[in-house]
Amino acid sequence: MTLPSLLKRALADLWNDLGTHMLTTVVIFLSALIFSFFSLIYFNLQNFVEHFGTELGLVIYLNKATPQDRIPALYQKLAGLEGVQAVVYISPDAAFKRLASYLKDEKDVLKGVDPKFLPPSFELRINRAVFHLDRLKRLAEKINRWPEVTKVQYGQEWLNKLKRFSVLLRAVVLISGLLLVLSSAFVVSNTIKLTVYAREQEMEILRLVGATNGFIQGPFLIEAFFQGLLGSGLALAFLYAGYRYVETLMGASCLLKGVNISFLPWTFIGIILFGSIFLCVSGTALAMRRFLRL
Amino acid sequence: MIDLSIIRLKGVSKKYPPDNLALRGLDMDVRKGEFVFLTGASGSGKSTLLKLLYCAERPTSGQIIVDGLDLSTLSPSQIPFLRRKVSVIFQDFKLLSSKTVFENVSISLEVLGLKRTQIEKRVRQVLEGVGLSGKLGHTPLELSGGEQQRVAIARAVVNRPPIILADEPTGNLDSDRTDEVLLLMEELNARGATIIFATHDERLYKNTHRRVFRLSDGRIEVTGP
Ligand SMILES: Nc1ncnc2c1ncn2[C@@H]1O[C@H](COP(=O)(O)OP(=O)(O)OP(=O)(O)O)[C@@H](O)[C@H]1O
Ligand SMILES: [Mg+2]
Repeated sequence: MTLPSLLKRALADLWNDLGTHMLTTVVIFLSALIFSFFSLIYFNLQNFVEHFGTELGLVIYLNKATPQDRIPALYQKLAGLEGVQAVVYISPDAAFKRLASYLKDEKDVLKGVDPKFLPPSFELRINRAVFHLDRLKRLAEKINRWPEVTKVQYGQEWLNKLKRFSVLLRAVVLISGLLLVLSSAFVVSNTIKLTVYAREQEMEILRLVGATNGFIQGPFLIEAFFQGLLGSGLALAFLYAGYRYVETLMGASCLLKGVNISFLPWTFIGIILFGSIFLCVSGTALAMRRFLRL
Repeated sequence: MIDLSIIRLKGVSKKYPPDNLALRGLDMDVRKGEFVFLTGASGSGKSTLLKLLYCAERPTSGQIIVDGLDLSTLSPSQIPFLRRKVSVIFQDFKLLSSKTVFENVSISLEVLGLKRTQIEKRVRQVLEGVGLSGKLGHTPLELSGGEQQRVAIARAVVNRPPIILADEPTGNLDSDRTDEVLLLMEELNARGATIIFATHDERLYKNTHRRVFRLSDGRIEVTGP
Protein backbone atom coordinates (compact mmCIF):
# COMPACT_ATOMS: atom_id res chain seq x y z
CA MET A 1 0.00 0.00 0.00
CA THR A 2 1.73 3.13 -1.22
CA LEU A 3 0.77 6.79 -1.31
CA PRO A 4 0.49 6.92 -5.12
CA SER A 5 -1.85 3.93 -5.11
CA LEU A 6 -3.99 5.50 -2.39
CA LEU A 7 -4.03 8.76 -4.35
CA LYS A 8 -5.08 6.91 -7.47
CA ARG A 9 -7.94 5.23 -5.64
CA ALA A 10 -8.97 8.53 -4.05
CA LEU A 11 -9.11 10.20 -7.47
CA ALA A 12 -11.08 7.30 -8.90
CA ASP A 13 -13.56 7.56 -6.02
CA LEU A 14 -13.88 11.30 -6.52
CA TRP A 15 -14.52 10.78 -10.20
CA ASN A 16 -17.01 7.95 -9.70
CA ASP A 17 -19.15 9.84 -7.25
CA LEU A 18 -18.70 13.41 -8.33
CA GLY A 19 -22.13 14.45 -7.09
CA THR A 20 -21.72 13.52 -3.45
CA HIS A 21 -18.21 14.86 -3.30
CA MET A 22 -19.28 18.08 -4.90
CA LEU A 23 -21.97 18.49 -2.28
CA THR A 24 -19.39 18.33 0.50
CA THR A 25 -17.12 20.74 -1.33
CA VAL A 26 -19.96 23.19 -1.90
CA VAL A 27 -20.93 23.05 1.77
CA ILE A 28 -17.35 23.76 2.78
CA PHE A 29 -17.08 26.46 0.13
CA LEU A 30 -20.16 28.25 1.45
CA SER A 31 -19.17 27.93 5.10
CA ALA A 32 -15.66 29.17 4.42
CA LEU A 33 -16.98 31.99 2.24
CA ILE A 34 -19.41 33.24 4.87
CA PHE A 35 -16.81 32.99 7.59
CA SER A 36 -14.02 34.67 5.66
CA PHE A 37 -16.33 37.39 4.34
CA PHE A 38 -17.33 38.16 7.87
CA SER A 39 -13.72 38.19 9.00
CA LEU A 40 -12.75 40.49 6.16
CA ILE A 41 -15.29 43.04 7.26
CA TYR A 42 -14.18 42.70 10.84
CA PHE A 43 -10.51 43.16 9.99
CA ASN A 44 -11.20 46.24 7.94
CA LEU A 45 -13.37 47.87 10.55
CA GLN A 46 -10.73 47.06 13.12
CA ASN A 47 -8.07 48.57 10.88
CA PHE A 48 -10.19 51.61 10.32
CA VAL A 49 -10.79 52.15 14.01
CA GLU A 50 -7.14 51.62 14.85
CA HIS A 51 -5.93 53.82 12.07
CA PHE A 52 -8.28 56.55 13.06
CA GLY A 53 -7.39 56.11 16.66
CA THR A 54 -3.71 56.67 16.03
CA GLU A 55 -4.42 59.83 14.13
CA LEU A 56 -6.39 61.31 16.94
CA GLY A 57 -4.84 63.81 19.18
CA LEU A 58 -5.13 67.09 20.94
CA VAL A 59 -5.07 70.62 19.65
CA ILE A 60 -3.65 73.11 22.14
CA TYR A 61 -4.37 76.80 21.59
CA LEU A 62 -1.95 79.20 23.18
CA ASN A 63 -2.50 82.67 24.47
CA LYS A 64 -1.84 85.16 21.64
CA ALA A 65 0.45 87.03 23.95
CA THR A 66 2.77 84.07 24.41
CA PRO A 67 6.29 85.24 23.55
CA GLN A 68 7.94 83.51 20.61
CA ASP A 69 10.90 82.33 22.73
CA ARG A 70 8.59 80.27 25.00
CA ILE A 71 7.66 78.06 22.08
CA PRO A 72 10.71 75.71 22.11
CA ALA A 73 10.36 75.16 25.85
CA LEU A 74 6.66 74.34 25.50
CA TYR A 75 7.48 72.08 22.59
CA GLN A 76 9.93 70.13 24.74
CA LYS A 77 7.49 69.95 27.61
CA LEU A 78 4.73 68.56 25.40
CA ALA A 79 7.01 66.09 23.64
CA GLY A 80 8.13 64.78 27.02
CA LEU A 81 4.60 63.88 28.10
CA GLU A 82 3.73 60.21 28.33
CA GLY A 83 2.08 58.69 25.28
CA VAL A 84 2.78 61.64 23.01
CA GLN A 85 3.88 60.45 19.60
CA ALA A 86 4.42 63.69 17.72
CA VAL A 87 4.18 67.40 18.33
CA VAL A 88 3.64 69.94 15.57
CA TYR A 89 3.77 73.69 16.10
CA ILE A 90 1.37 75.78 14.07
CA SER A 91 2.34 79.42 14.08
CA PRO A 92 -0.30 82.12 13.49
CA ASP A 93 1.10 82.58 9.98
CA ALA A 94 0.90 78.88 9.21
CA ALA A 95 -2.63 78.75 10.59
CA PHE A 96 -3.58 81.65 8.40
CA LYS A 97 -2.14 79.97 5.31
CA ARG A 98 -3.99 76.83 6.12
CA LEU A 99 -7.23 78.71 6.47
CA ALA A 100 -6.61 80.43 3.17
CA SER A 101 -6.03 77.15 1.41
CA TYR A 102 -9.25 75.73 2.87
CA LEU A 103 -11.15 78.70 1.56
CA LYS A 104 -9.62 78.33 -1.90
CA ASP A 105 -11.55 80.60 -4.26
CA GLU A 106 -13.12 82.52 -1.45
CA LYS A 107 -9.88 83.52 0.15
CA ASP A 108 -10.67 87.12 -0.79
CA VAL A 109 -12.62 87.41 2.43
CA LEU A 110 -9.31 87.34 4.26
CA LYS A 111 -8.08 90.41 2.44
CA GLY A 112 -6.99 93.06 4.85
CA VAL A 113 -7.20 90.74 7.80
CA ASP A 114 -4.16 90.63 10.04
CA PRO A 115 -2.30 87.41 9.26
CA LYS A 116 -1.60 87.07 12.98
CA PHE A 117 -5.21 87.16 14.12
CA LEU A 118 -5.21 83.39 14.75
CA PRO A 119 -3.66 82.08 17.96
CA PRO A 120 -0.54 79.91 17.80
CA SER A 121 -1.24 76.25 18.53
CA PHE A 122 0.29 72.83 19.01
CA GLU A 123 -1.07 69.61 17.52
CA LEU A 124 -0.34 66.48 19.51
CA ARG A 125 -0.56 62.99 18.13
CA ILE A 126 -1.20 60.46 20.89
CA ASN A 127 -0.20 56.82 20.72
CA ARG A 128 -3.27 54.63 20.07
CA ALA A 129 -5.39 57.35 21.55
CA VAL A 130 -8.67 55.63 20.94
CA PHE A 131 -7.80 52.83 23.29
CA HIS A 132 -6.74 55.15 26.09
CA LEU A 133 -9.42 57.76 26.22
CA ASP A 134 -9.06 58.30 29.97
CA ARG A 135 -5.41 59.04 29.55
CA LEU A 136 -6.24 61.48 26.78
CA LYS A 137 -8.74 63.22 28.98
CA ARG A 138 -6.35 63.51 31.92
CA LEU A 139 -3.66 64.81 29.63
CA ALA A 140 -5.99 67.46 28.26
CA GLU A 141 -6.96 68.61 31.74
CA LYS A 142 -3.34 68.80 32.82
CA ILE A 143 -2.27 70.84 29.82
CA ASN A 144 -5.23 73.11 30.21
CA ARG A 145 -3.85 74.26 33.57
CA TRP A 146 -0.67 75.58 32.02
CA PRO A 147 -0.66 79.42 32.06
CA GLU A 148 0.10 79.79 28.33
CA VAL A 149 -2.81 77.57 27.27
CA THR A 150 -6.19 79.02 26.52
CA LYS A 151 -8.01 75.92 25.27
CA VAL A 152 -7.45 72.23 24.69
CA GLN A 153 -9.62 70.57 22.11
CA TYR A 154 -10.41 67.01 21.36
CA GLY A 155 -13.46 65.27 19.98
CA GLN A 156 -14.36 63.59 23.22
CA GLU A 157 -17.93 62.74 22.40
CA TRP A 158 -17.02 61.36 19.06
CA LEU A 159 -14.18 59.38 20.53
CA ASN A 160 -16.35 57.84 23.19
CA LYS A 161 -18.80 56.71 20.56
CA LEU A 162 -16.05 55.21 18.48
CA LYS A 163 -14.69 53.38 21.46
CA ARG A 164 -18.03 51.95 22.45
CA PHE A 165 -18.64 50.94 18.88
CA SER A 166 -15.34 49.12 18.59
CA VAL A 167 -15.92 47.23 21.84
CA LEU A 168 -19.38 46.25 20.67
CA LEU A 169 -18.05 45.28 17.25
CA ARG A 170 -15.48 43.04 18.79
CA ALA A 171 -18.06 41.28 20.98
CA VAL A 172 -20.50 40.81 18.11
CA VAL A 173 -17.80 39.48 15.84
CA LEU A 174 -16.42 37.08 18.41
CA ILE A 175 -19.80 35.65 19.36
CA SER A 176 -21.17 35.33 15.86
CA GLY A 177 -17.83 34.03 14.60
CA LEU A 178 -17.97 31.30 17.20
CA LEU A 179 -21.57 30.42 16.31
CA LEU A 180 -20.66 30.41 12.65
CA VAL A 181 -17.75 28.06 13.20
CA LEU A 182 -19.90 25.72 15.28
CA SER A 183 -22.77 25.63 12.81
CA SER A 184 -20.55 25.08 9.80
CA ALA A 185 -18.68 22.36 11.66
CA PHE A 186 -22.05 20.73 12.33
CA VAL A 187 -23.20 20.97 8.71
CA VAL A 188 -19.87 19.83 7.30
CA SER A 189 -19.58 16.86 9.64
CA ASN A 190 -23.11 15.74 8.76
CA THR A 191 -22.46 16.06 5.06
CA ILE A 192 -19.31 14.02 5.51
CA LYS A 193 -21.20 11.41 7.49
CA LEU A 194 -23.59 11.08 4.57
CA THR A 195 -20.78 10.51 2.09
CA VAL A 196 -19.17 7.94 4.37
CA TYR A 197 -22.43 6.13 5.13
CA ALA A 198 -23.24 6.05 1.44
CA ARG A 199 -20.26 3.74 1.02
CA GLU A 200 -20.97 1.53 4.00
CA GLN A 201 -21.46 -1.53 1.80
CA GLU A 202 -18.18 -0.97 0.03
CA MET A 203 -16.36 -0.73 3.34
CA GLU A 204 -18.01 -3.90 4.59
CA ILE A 205 -16.91 -5.81 1.50
CA LEU A 206 -13.41 -4.43 1.71
CA ARG A 207 -13.23 -5.65 5.28
CA LEU A 208 -14.47 -9.07 4.28
CA VAL A 209 -11.85 -9.53 1.58
CA GLY A 210 -9.06 -8.66 4.00
CA ALA A 211 -8.43 -4.95 3.59
CA THR A 212 -6.53 -3.29 6.41
CA ASN A 213 -7.98 -0.20 8.07
CA GLY A 214 -5.36 1.93 6.37
CA PHE A 215 -6.37 0.62 2.99
CA ILE A 216 -10.02 1.43 3.63
CA GLN A 217 -9.43 4.77 5.32
CA GLY A 218 -6.63 6.14 3.14
CA PRO A 219 -8.63 7.24 0.11
CA PHE A 220 -11.40 8.68 2.28
CA LEU A 221 -8.93 10.83 4.18
CA ILE A 222 -7.22 11.97 1.00
CA GLU A 223 -10.57 12.85 -0.50
CA ALA A 224 -11.47 14.78 2.62
CA PHE A 225 -8.17 16.64 2.43
CA PHE A 226 -8.81 17.71 -1.15
CA GLN A 227 -12.39 18.68 -0.42
CA GLY A 228 -11.35 20.87 2.47
CA LEU A 229 -8.58 22.45 0.45
CA LEU A 230 -10.71 22.98 -2.64
CA GLY A 231 -13.76 24.28 -0.79
CA SER A 232 -11.91 26.79 1.36
CA GLY A 233 -9.44 27.71 -1.40
CA LEU A 234 -12.27 28.52 -3.78
CA ALA A 235 -14.03 30.50 -1.09
CA LEU A 236 -10.92 32.60 -0.46
CA ALA A 237 -10.36 33.11 -4.19
CA PHE A 238 -13.96 34.18 -4.56
CA LEU A 239 -13.66 36.56 -1.65
CA TYR A 240 -10.45 38.00 -3.06
CA ALA A 241 -12.09 38.65 -6.42
CA GLY A 242 -14.95 40.40 -4.65
CA TYR A 243 -12.47 42.38 -2.59
CA ARG A 244 -10.61 43.56 -5.68
CA TYR A 245 -13.88 44.59 -7.27
CA VAL A 246 -14.89 46.65 -4.24
CA GLU A 247 -11.44 48.17 -4.18
CA THR A 248 -11.77 49.45 -7.73
CA LEU A 249 -15.25 50.72 -7.00
CA MET A 250 -13.91 52.63 -4.01
CA GLY A 251 -11.04 53.99 -6.04
CA ALA A 252 -13.50 55.42 -8.53
CA SER A 253 -15.63 57.09 -5.89
CA CYS A 254 -14.27 60.41 -4.62
CA LEU A 255 -16.04 60.04 -1.33
CA LEU A 256 -14.21 56.85 -0.36
CA LYS A 257 -10.96 57.55 -2.13
CA GLY A 258 -9.00 58.12 1.05
CA VAL A 259 -10.28 55.02 2.83
CA ASN A 260 -7.85 52.12 2.70
CA ILE A 261 -9.11 48.56 2.76
CA SER A 262 -6.96 45.48 3.04
CA PHE A 263 -7.43 41.76 2.48
CA LEU A 264 -7.25 39.12 5.21
CA PRO A 265 -3.80 38.69 6.75
CA TRP A 266 -1.82 35.67 5.57
CA THR A 267 -1.95 33.94 8.92
CA PHE A 268 -5.72 34.17 8.87
CA ILE A 269 -5.86 32.74 5.35
CA GLY A 270 -3.72 29.90 6.64
CA ILE A 271 -6.06 29.36 9.57
CA ILE A 272 -9.11 29.15 7.29
CA LEU A 273 -7.42 26.67 4.92
CA PHE A 274 -6.00 24.57 7.72
CA GLY A 275 -9.24 24.70 9.70
CA SER A 276 -11.33 23.51 6.76
CA ILE A 277 -8.95 20.67 5.96
CA PHE A 278 -8.78 19.67 9.60
CA LEU A 279 -12.56 19.72 9.86
CA CYS A 280 -12.97 17.48 6.80
CA VAL A 281 -10.25 15.01 7.65
CA SER A 282 -11.14 14.64 11.31
CA GLY A 283 -14.85 14.51 10.48
CA THR A 284 -14.21 11.70 8.03
CA ALA A 285 -12.00 9.79 10.44
CA LEU A 286 -14.66 10.12 13.11
CA ALA A 287 -17.49 9.06 10.81
CA MET A 288 -15.51 6.03 9.69
CA ARG A 289 -14.67 4.83 13.14
CA ARG A 290 -17.77 2.74 13.58
CA PHE A 291 -17.08 0.91 10.33
CA LEU A 292 -13.53 0.02 11.15
CA ARG A 293 -13.83 -1.49 14.62
CA LEU A 294 -10.43 -0.27 15.64
CA MET B 1 -0.51 -38.91 14.73
CA ILE B 2 0.20 -35.94 12.48
CA ASP B 3 -2.27 -33.11 12.90
CA LEU B 4 -3.73 -32.52 9.46
CA SER B 5 -6.64 -30.36 10.52
CA ILE B 6 -6.74 -26.84 9.12
CA ILE B 7 -9.84 -25.87 11.08
CA ARG B 8 -10.39 -27.02 14.64
CA LEU B 9 -13.10 -26.07 17.12
CA LYS B 10 -13.02 -27.14 20.75
CA GLY B 11 -16.00 -26.62 23.01
CA VAL B 12 -17.17 -23.59 21.06
CA SER B 13 -20.27 -21.83 22.28
CA LYS B 14 -21.89 -18.71 20.92
CA LYS B 15 -24.47 -16.77 22.81
CA TYR B 16 -26.23 -13.81 21.22
CA PRO B 17 -27.46 -11.32 23.77
CA PRO B 18 -29.58 -11.48 25.79
CA ASP B 19 -29.59 -15.26 25.99
CA ASN B 20 -29.90 -16.92 22.60
CA LEU B 21 -27.51 -19.81 22.77
CA ALA B 22 -26.91 -20.43 19.03
CA LEU B 23 -24.03 -22.90 19.44
CA ARG B 24 -23.44 -25.10 22.49
CA GLY B 25 -20.00 -26.55 23.01
CA LEU B 26 -19.15 -27.60 19.46
CA ASP B 27 -16.17 -29.77 18.56
CA MET B 28 -15.26 -29.91 14.91
CA ASP B 29 -12.27 -30.77 12.77
CA VAL B 30 -11.76 -30.14 9.08
CA ARG B 31 -8.68 -31.56 7.41
CA LYS B 32 -6.51 -29.69 4.98
CA GLY B 33 -7.88 -30.09 1.45
CA GLU B 34 -11.18 -31.52 2.64
CA PHE B 35 -14.58 -30.62 1.25
CA VAL B 36 -17.34 -30.84 3.86
CA PHE B 37 -21.00 -29.95 3.93
CA LEU B 38 -22.57 -28.05 6.78
CA THR B 39 -26.30 -28.45 7.11
CA GLY B 40 -29.17 -27.95 9.51
CA ALA B 41 -32.56 -26.31 9.67
CA SER B 42 -32.97 -22.60 9.25
CA GLY B 43 -31.81 -20.88 12.41
CA SER B 44 -29.70 -23.85 13.49
CA GLY B 45 -26.52 -21.75 13.48
CA LYS B 46 -24.79 -22.46 10.15
CA SER B 47 -24.08 -18.83 9.38
CA THR B 48 -23.06 -18.24 12.98
CA LEU B 49 -20.51 -21.03 12.80
CA LEU B 50 -19.04 -19.66 9.58
CA LYS B 51 -18.95 -16.13 11.02
CA LEU B 52 -16.85 -17.43 13.88
CA LEU B 53 -14.41 -18.89 11.37
CA TYR B 54 -13.79 -15.58 9.56
CA CYS B 55 -13.94 -13.60 12.79
CA ALA B 56 -17.10 -11.63 12.04
CA GLU B 57 -18.27 -12.90 15.43
CA ARG B 58 -16.28 -13.98 18.45
CA PRO B 59 -17.12 -17.16 20.38
CA THR B 60 -18.55 -16.80 23.86
CA SER B 61 -16.33 -19.64 24.96
CA GLY B 62 -14.14 -22.33 23.45
CA GLN B 63 -11.15 -22.39 21.15
CA ILE B 64 -11.01 -21.95 17.37
CA ILE B 65 -7.90 -22.54 15.32
CA VAL B 66 -7.85 -21.66 11.62
CA ASP B 67 -4.75 -22.42 9.58
CA GLY B 68 -2.59 -22.12 12.66
CA LEU B 69 -4.17 -18.89 13.93
CA ASP B 70 -5.81 -19.01 17.34
CA LEU B 71 -8.87 -16.86 16.81
CA SER B 72 -9.51 -16.33 20.51
CA THR B 73 -6.28 -14.36 20.79
CA LEU B 74 -6.37 -12.78 17.35
CA SER B 75 -6.09 -8.98 17.59
CA PRO B 76 -8.34 -6.79 15.42
CA SER B 77 -5.36 -5.66 13.39
CA GLN B 78 -4.68 -9.29 12.41
CA ILE B 79 -8.19 -9.96 11.16
CA PRO B 80 -7.45 -8.71 7.63
CA PHE B 81 -4.69 -11.29 7.36
CA LEU B 82 -7.05 -14.08 8.46
CA ARG B 83 -9.56 -12.90 5.85
CA ARG B 84 -6.95 -13.22 3.13
CA LYS B 85 -6.67 -16.92 3.96
CA VAL B 86 -10.39 -17.46 4.46
CA SER B 87 -12.64 -16.36 1.60
CA VAL B 88 -16.39 -16.25 2.00
CA ILE B 89 -19.13 -16.72 -0.57
CA PHE B 90 -22.46 -15.27 0.54
CA GLN B 91 -25.98 -16.26 -0.25
CA ASP B 92 -26.80 -12.62 -1.04
CA PHE B 93 -23.59 -12.24 -3.11
CA LYS B 94 -22.57 -8.93 -1.49
CA LEU B 95 -21.51 -7.37 -4.78
CA LEU B 96 -21.10 -3.64 -5.32
CA SER B 97 -23.76 -2.60 -7.80
CA SER B 98 -21.97 0.61 -8.69
CA LYS B 99 -18.86 -1.24 -9.84
CA THR B 100 -18.26 -3.46 -12.83
CA VAL B 101 -17.80 -7.21 -12.68
CA PHE B 102 -14.09 -6.71 -13.20
CA GLU B 103 -13.82 -4.19 -10.36
CA ASN B 104 -15.85 -6.36 -8.00
CA VAL B 105 -13.46 -9.23 -8.49
CA SER B 106 -10.26 -7.20 -8.52
CA ILE B 107 -10.99 -5.85 -5.02
CA SER B 108 -9.61 -9.05 -3.51
CA LEU B 109 -6.28 -8.50 -5.21
CA GLU B 110 -6.12 -4.75 -4.70
CA VAL B 111 -6.15 -5.18 -0.93
CA LEU B 112 -3.06 -7.35 -1.33
CA GLY B 113 -1.29 -4.50 -3.13
CA LEU B 114 -0.69 -6.39 -6.35
CA LYS B 115 0.44 -4.61 -9.51
CA ARG B 116 -2.18 -3.46 -11.97
CA THR B 117 -0.99 -5.74 -14.77
CA GLN B 118 -0.92 -8.74 -12.49
CA ILE B 119 -4.42 -7.98 -11.19
CA GLU B 120 -5.72 -7.62 -14.72
CA LYS B 121 -4.28 -10.96 -15.78
CA ARG B 122 -5.57 -12.92 -12.84
CA VAL B 123 -9.04 -11.40 -12.82
CA ARG B 124 -9.49 -12.14 -16.51
CA GLN B 125 -8.30 -15.66 -15.95
CA VAL B 126 -10.68 -16.32 -13.07
CA LEU B 127 -13.66 -14.72 -14.80
CA GLU B 128 -12.97 -16.90 -17.82
CA GLY B 129 -12.93 -19.89 -15.48
CA VAL B 130 -16.45 -19.11 -14.28
CA GLY B 131 -17.63 -18.36 -17.81
CA LEU B 132 -17.98 -14.61 -17.50
CA SER B 133 -15.26 -13.29 -19.81
CA GLY B 134 -17.89 -11.54 -21.90
CA LYS B 135 -19.30 -9.57 -18.96
CA LEU B 136 -16.23 -7.81 -17.59
CA GLY B 137 -17.60 -4.32 -18.03
CA HIS B 138 -21.16 -5.07 -16.90
CA THR B 139 -22.49 -4.10 -13.50
CA PRO B 140 -24.03 -6.83 -11.29
CA LEU B 141 -27.54 -5.49 -11.90
CA GLU B 142 -27.16 -6.35 -15.57
CA LEU B 143 -26.49 -9.99 -14.71
CA SER B 144 -28.72 -12.93 -13.84
CA GLY B 145 -28.72 -14.36 -10.31
CA GLY B 146 -26.51 -17.27 -11.37
CA GLU B 147 -24.06 -14.94 -13.05
CA GLN B 148 -23.94 -12.73 -9.99
CA GLN B 149 -23.18 -15.72 -7.82
CA ARG B 150 -20.34 -16.69 -10.14
CA VAL B 151 -18.92 -13.16 -9.80
CA ALA B 152 -19.05 -13.60 -6.03
CA ILE B 153 -17.26 -16.92 -6.36
CA ALA B 154 -14.64 -15.37 -8.63
CA ARG B 155 -14.02 -12.66 -6.04
CA ALA B 156 -13.62 -15.26 -3.32
CA VAL B 157 -11.13 -17.40 -5.21
CA VAL B 158 -9.10 -14.94 -7.25
CA ASN B 159 -6.58 -14.52 -4.44
CA ARG B 160 -6.21 -18.33 -4.18
CA PRO B 161 -7.15 -18.70 -0.52
CA PRO B 162 -6.45 -21.97 1.25
CA ILE B 163 -9.92 -21.97 2.82
CA ILE B 164 -13.27 -21.18 1.22
CA LEU B 165 -16.46 -20.83 3.24
CA ALA B 166 -19.66 -20.94 1.20
CA ASP B 167 -22.77 -19.83 3.06
CA GLU B 168 -25.68 -21.24 1.05
CA PRO B 169 -24.14 -20.18 -2.24
CA THR B 170 -26.93 -21.84 -4.19
CA GLY B 171 -29.85 -20.63 -2.11
CA ASN B 172 -31.05 -18.26 -4.83
CA LEU B 173 -30.37 -20.47 -7.84
CA ASP B 174 -32.35 -23.00 -9.87
CA SER B 175 -31.12 -26.57 -9.94
CA ASP B 176 -29.01 -26.25 -13.13
CA ARG B 177 -27.22 -23.18 -11.76
CA THR B 178 -26.85 -24.96 -8.44
CA ASP B 179 -25.08 -27.87 -10.06
CA GLU B 180 -22.78 -25.47 -11.89
CA VAL B 181 -21.78 -23.84 -8.64
CA LEU B 182 -21.22 -27.20 -6.98
CA LEU B 183 -19.01 -28.24 -9.87
CA LEU B 184 -17.01 -25.06 -9.56
CA MET B 185 -16.46 -25.71 -5.87
CA GLU B 186 -15.37 -29.28 -6.63
CA GLU B 187 -12.81 -27.90 -9.07
CA LEU B 188 -11.45 -25.47 -6.51
CA ASN B 189 -11.22 -28.28 -4.00
CA ALA B 190 -9.37 -30.42 -6.53
CA ARG B 191 -6.80 -27.62 -6.75
CA GLY B 192 -6.21 -27.83 -3.03
CA ALA B 193 -8.66 -25.48 -1.32
CA THR B 194 -10.36 -26.59 1.87
CA ILE B 195 -14.08 -25.97 1.55
CA ILE B 196 -16.98 -25.74 3.96
CA PHE B 197 -20.21 -25.69 2.02
CA ALA B 198 -23.23 -24.67 4.09
CA THR B 199 -26.57 -25.61 2.59
CA HIS B 200 -29.97 -26.94 3.51
CA ASP B 201 -30.45 -28.36 0.01
CA GLU B 202 -30.50 -32.05 0.84
CA ARG B 203 -30.12 -32.98 -2.83
CA LEU B 204 -26.56 -31.64 -2.82
CA TYR B 205 -25.18 -33.99 -0.17
CA LYS B 206 -27.61 -36.93 -0.38
CA ASN B 207 -25.29 -39.20 -2.33
CA THR B 208 -22.01 -37.63 -1.40
CA HIS B 209 -18.93 -39.48 -0.26
CA ARG B 210 -17.97 -36.40 1.75
CA ARG B 211 -18.48 -35.72 5.43
CA VAL B 212 -21.64 -33.88 6.37
CA PHE B 213 -21.87 -31.85 9.59
CA ARG B 214 -25.40 -31.39 10.79
CA LEU B 215 -26.36 -28.67 13.27
CA SER B 216 -29.41 -28.94 15.43
CA ASP B 217 -30.24 -27.39 18.79
CA GLY B 218 -26.82 -25.77 18.78
CA ARG B 219 -25.05 -29.12 18.68
CA ILE B 220 -23.24 -30.81 15.83
CA GLU B 221 -23.16 -34.36 14.57
CA VAL B 222 -21.13 -35.68 11.69
CA THR B 223 -21.92 -38.37 9.12
CA GLY B 224 -19.74 -39.83 6.39
CA PRO B 225 -16.27 -41.29 6.25
N1 LIG C 1 -26.57 -10.97 14.95
C1 LIG C 1 -27.41 -11.77 15.66
N2 LIG C 1 -27.92 -11.31 16.82
C2 LIG C 1 -28.73 -12.09 17.55
N3 LIG C 1 -29.10 -13.32 17.22
C3 LIG C 1 -28.63 -13.83 16.07
C4 LIG C 1 -27.76 -13.07 15.24
N4 LIG C 1 -27.44 -13.82 14.15
C5 LIG C 1 -28.10 -14.99 14.31
N5 LIG C 1 -28.80 -15.00 15.45
C6 LIG C 1 -29.60 -16.13 15.98
O1 LIG C 1 -28.75 -17.24 16.05
C7 LIG C 1 -29.43 -18.39 15.61
C8 LIG C 1 -28.68 -19.02 14.46
O2 LIG C 1 -28.74 -18.14 13.34
P1 LIG C 1 -27.96 -18.42 12.00
O3 LIG C 1 -28.11 -17.25 11.10
O4 LIG C 1 -26.58 -18.83 12.33
O5 LIG C 1 -28.76 -19.65 11.42
P2 LIG C 1 -28.63 -20.40 10.01
O6 LIG C 1 -28.45 -21.82 10.28
O7 LIG C 1 -27.60 -19.72 9.18
O8 LIG C 1 -30.07 -20.12 9.37
P3 LIG C 1 -30.45 -19.97 7.82
O9 LIG C 1 -30.43 -21.34 7.24
O10 LIG C 1 -31.83 -19.39 7.87
O11 LIG C 1 -29.47 -19.05 7.22
C9 LIG C 1 -30.83 -17.95 15.24
O12 LIG C 1 -31.68 -18.24 16.33
C10 LIG C 1 -30.71 -16.46 15.05
O13 LIG C 1 -31.91 -15.84 15.43
MG1 LIG D 1 -27.55 -18.59 7.36
